[in-house]
Formats: sequence, C-alpha cells, structure tokens
Amino acid sequence: MIESTDLRKSFRVHKRESDGPLRFIRRQAVDVEAVAGVSFTVGAGEMIGYVGPNGAGKSTTIKMLTGILQPSGGRVRVAGLDPARQRLEVAKRIGVVFGQRSQLWWDLPLQDSFELLRHIYRVPAEAYRQRLAYLIELLELGSFLETPVRQLSLGQRMRGDLTASLLHAPPVLFLDEPSIGLDVVAKARIRELLARINRDQGVTILLTTHDMADIERLCSRMLIIDHGRVIYDGGLETIREQYGDERTVVVDLAEEAPPLDVPHATVTRTDGPRQWLRFRRTETTAAEVISSVAATARLRDLTIEEPAIEDIVRGIYERGDRRVASGGRNN
Amino acid sequence: MSLRDWRPRGPYPPAPSPVRGGGGDGWPAPLPRALGRGVPGRVLPDFTLYAALVRAQVSAQLQYRGSFVVQAVGQFLATFVDFITLVFLFQRFPSIAGWTLGEVAFLYGLGGLAFGISDLLCGGFDGLSKMIRLGTFDRVLTRPVGTFAQVLAGDVQIRRLGRIVQGMVTLGLAVSWVEVAWTAPKVAVLVSAVVAGVVIFTAIWVIGAAITFWTVETSEVTNVFTYGGEALVSYPMPIYAEGLRRFFTFVVPLVFVSYLPALYILEKADPLGLPPVLQLCSPIVAVVFLLVARFCWALGVRHYQGTGS
Repeated sequence: MIESTDLRKSFRVHKRESDGPLRFIRRQAVDVEAVAGVSFTVGAGEMIGYVGPNGAGKSTTIKMLTGILQPSGGRVRVAGLDPARQRLEVAKRIGVVFGQRSQLWWDLPLQDSFELLRHIYRVPAEAYRQRLAYLIELLELGSFLETPVRQLSLGQRMRGDLTASLLHAPPVLFLDEPSIGLDVVAKARIRELLARINRDQGVTILLTTHDMADIERLCSRMLIIDHGRVIYDGGLETIREQYGDERTVVVDLAEEAPPLDVPHATVTRTDGPRQWLRFRRTETTAAEVISSVAATARLRDLTIEEPAIEDIVRGIYERGDRRVASGGRNN
Repeated sequence: MSLRDWRPRGPYPPAPSPVRGGGGDGWPAPLPRALGRGVPGRVLPDFTLYAALVRAQVSAQLQYRGSFVVQAVGQFLATFVDFITLVFLFQRFPSIAGWTLGEVAFLYGLGGLAFGISDLLCGGFDGLSKMIRLGTFDRVLTRPVGTFAQVLAGDVQIRRLGRIVQGMVTLGLAVSWVEVAWTAPKVAVLVSAVVAGVVIFTAIWVIGAAITFWTVETSEVTNVFTYGGEALVSYPMPIYAEGLRRFFTFVVPLVFVSYLPALYILEKADPLGLPPVLQLCSPIVAVVFLLVARFCWALGVRHYQGTGS
C-alpha cells in the first residue's frame, strides 16, 4: 500500500553570518537533508507507528507521502500511485489527519463541514449516509453535530477531524499527532476507532505520535526515524527483547527512607516510602535486587515494571545505538 | 437538498457488517478501484462544488446580518465618496483630455464595477499569504481538487457587494449623462467589457498571489496593480505618460478594461492611434491574460511543493 525507496528531501536554508556588519546582506545557502534515504514498505491492512524525536524527519516524510512535498530523491508510491505526479488520484485514496491543524470549516456547524467534504470527495449519497451514521455512532458525535466547529472542545474537534478524513472511505489513513493535547477518555475513543476500522475495514494506517501508549496499544510494527534515517523497523516485541534489558522494581517500604544502596541497581526516583530501582538484567536479577532491599529495609510491597517503549526509544536516541537497527529489519 | 436534510434521528443504523473487500456502499477493497475521472487537473473549476463552498460561506456570514449591512453600506459610501470627488473635479475643469464628466464617469463606473466583482470573487487569493504562513495550504494539497479552484472558492465576503452596487450606480448615472446611440453591438461590448474586466483583474489577483509562494509575505506591489489599477482605468489613457500607457497595454492589459470599450461605445476618436479592432478584443485579451496567470500559479504551487514553507 505504501512503498518508500531511498526517499530523500533536502531543503535549502539561508543562514546569516553570525556577526559583523555584513550579516544582514550576505547569507549563506546551506542544504539541510531532512530525510536522508528512508525505505520501508507497508502492506495493505497494516497499522504501523512512525516515531522519532522532533526534527527527525517524520512530518517531512508524511508530507511526501501525501503529495504536499516533492521528494528530492528516491521513489514513493501510495496505493500504487506517485503522490507528486498524480496528486489528485492519490488524494481520493488517502485520508489525512493533522493533529494541530483542523480541516473543518471554523464557522460552520460540524455537520456542514461533513456535507462540504462529501461534495469535495464526490461521495455517493447512500454510502455517505451509512458511513457517517457508523462514524457518528462509534465516536458519539450526535450531541454536537450542529455546533459550530470553533465552539467545540479539542477532543470533540479531533473526533470530527477523524470522521472528516474517513467519509470517502480511503484505503490509507495518515495521522500526524492525532492525540496531542487530548485527555485519557478522548484518546481511548480515538484508539478504539482506529483499531476498529483497521480490523473491520482493512484500512491501512500510518500513525505518527509522541504518545507511546498509542503505539503499544494499536501497532504491531514500528518505524523509528532519527536524523532523516530509519534506525529501526520491526515489531514491538523484538525491540523490547533486544533492547529491554533494563527493568525497574518499584518497592513500597514500611516507612520513608533515604535512597537505598543496592548493588547493580540505581534509584531513579523516590516518592515518600516508594522507590524506583532500575537495573540491568545482564548484571543482576530481580530476585537479587529484592533480596538486597529486604535485607536493608522493611519491604511492604513491590512491582516489577517492564521497560516502556518510550524508554527504549529514548535510549536509542541518547546512545545513538545502532545495534538495535541491525537487529531489526533495517533497509 | 439542503445542508440539513439528512440528520440522524433515534437509534443509529447498525454498523455495516465487517466484510473485507467491500460492497458498493461499504469500504473499498484493499486494492482500490479507480474512483471518478482520471483527469489530473482541469482548466475550469467544478461549478457545483464552487457553488456549495460559496453558499456555505455566505450562509455563515449572513448569520451576522447587522454586521453585513453596516459593512456593505459603509463600503458603498466610501467608494461613492470617490465618485463625488470626481464630480467636484469637473466643476473646476470642463474636460480632461477631451473627455467630459459623463464620459469619464463611464470609465469610472465600468472599471469600478469590474473591479468590485473581481474583489468579491478573489478574496481567497488575497488570503493566500496567510494560508502559507499558517500551513493551511498543505490541506489544499491533500484534497482531490485543483489548488486554483480551492483557493478561488476559499474566501467570498458578501460585504464587498457595497463596492459592486456603487459600480452599478455610477455606471448607471454615467449612461444617463452621456449621449449614446445604443445599438445591439454596443450593448454586447458593454457587457463583455465588464466580464473581461472581471477576468483581467482576477488574473492580477492570481499573479500577485502566485508571487507569495516565493516571498511568503504579502507584497503591497499587488495592491498597486489591483486597487491602483482600478484608479488608473477610471481616467482616459491619454493623460498618462507614454511609458505607463505602453505598460498597461502590453504587460498588464488594463487598457482593455474600460478605455478601449468606452472608445467604441462613445464613438470617440483615439488620439493614441491604436487599431480600432482592439476595442472589441477585450474578451480575447482577458482569456489570454488569465492563462498567463494560471501558468504563474502552477509554477508557484510547484515551487511550494519543492521547498515547503
């Protein structure tokens, strides 16, 4: 459904001289490679997460996939078509949700935005009616269909945006930070919708997000991009196994105590009588850590936390660790 | 079918059965069939879509009826004051370059009406700079409609009817003041001159907007040719220096908006020596100029897609 082969994008940025009287006149042109050879394939019906630090090239990649930007190099195909050369045809087959910019008409009731989009995408009346009813039910839009969009809360507006992107039943859906700024309930609703349409209708979904919970709950596969390159492409389990050698034991002591000194473990956080101890599985075991703690303090309760994807990904960013990339399906 | 004909009542219909592959009204099969026509881009926008977009904006603006009336009346009065100034000018001078008050008022009315209509239609192009700065132009590129058509339909402000009404009133007054032997061809030339004028001014708005793909900030230069252009065509061409006249004949063809059609209708001799057939060529020139503008627009969009914003 989505194919990207050695995709590249460079921008020419004009930098000023840092000081001196000529700094307003003479400017240097510098080529910045925002995307430096990204290759991946997404099959029909997959839902994958696309993550990376700010400035890694995520948005630029999405813009090239949706026809907003032309690549500087490489090749990209969405539903078998070239988004740069066949923009209108690709547009009919994709839905796009930008988390920070709504596509709804600000002054009109939500319902009217849907109606206008029906015209724009030439959706047949009967199909439109059924699809809209389905989405209204799933996302519970009924109570604010008649409200002008500018009066909607963020969560309501995001549900409206998601509906708007699906009215023409696109086989591919791109989401750029859809859950940013949303509360837990709203996020859950959106996740449920995405899971449903992916499972029941086979919509291919590419999801960019900073919220790792979205990825953990929705995606079976993840691409990590950093500095314009894909550094990991594979399943979540794989990355956890290969990189998840860190674990955390959360101990509840009988009373507050200064940070415990346990061999091979570091206290990362304390909160009253509760302390978080991080250790590496290669250096020690959970059992040894717990025994050490029990020997030095009165232990009331404990939990063992698996590493969140977020920590793993952060570790990759921070350490610039390439060994994970070589373990995953790196192109 | 009005926008409110379909509204869910009572329990919603059940979700379609989860059959992958889709039927005629469900979600499409994983490999989509071709949808709609495959023509990439069109010369003329789709008029039903344009009508729907305009109707939605107009209905939203009409919700603030008081504001609309005040603004429209205000615009009428402000532009009418210009006309009064012109009349006062002619109390001092009996004629300008051989043109009487009625004849100059004819130029003024014709140019004003054409500009007013184009101003109403082209609000979207004026707002392109803001779209680029805020990133909302990206959304335009993700929709299966040409960028030109979307921006054209993007911002229709009904308060601009004030200027249009003023143009009609002044043109009506001028027609009553001049002595013209009206024939069918003259009426045809008058109507086609208004239409051609709208197209020529529209093309100027489009070119001005296309430039913002490179500069991002709005250029006041565009206003020189739009608002300035309206002022220019309100007076007979012979009063301008030769360089200016040549520019506005061959580069930005404003001479075809009011001066040349007026020569034909008022049966005046042209001291500039342009071939009389040009007096009938406003529509052709307008279409050619619009094509040039469309080309500039296409270049601008391609530049945007190459460099982002």
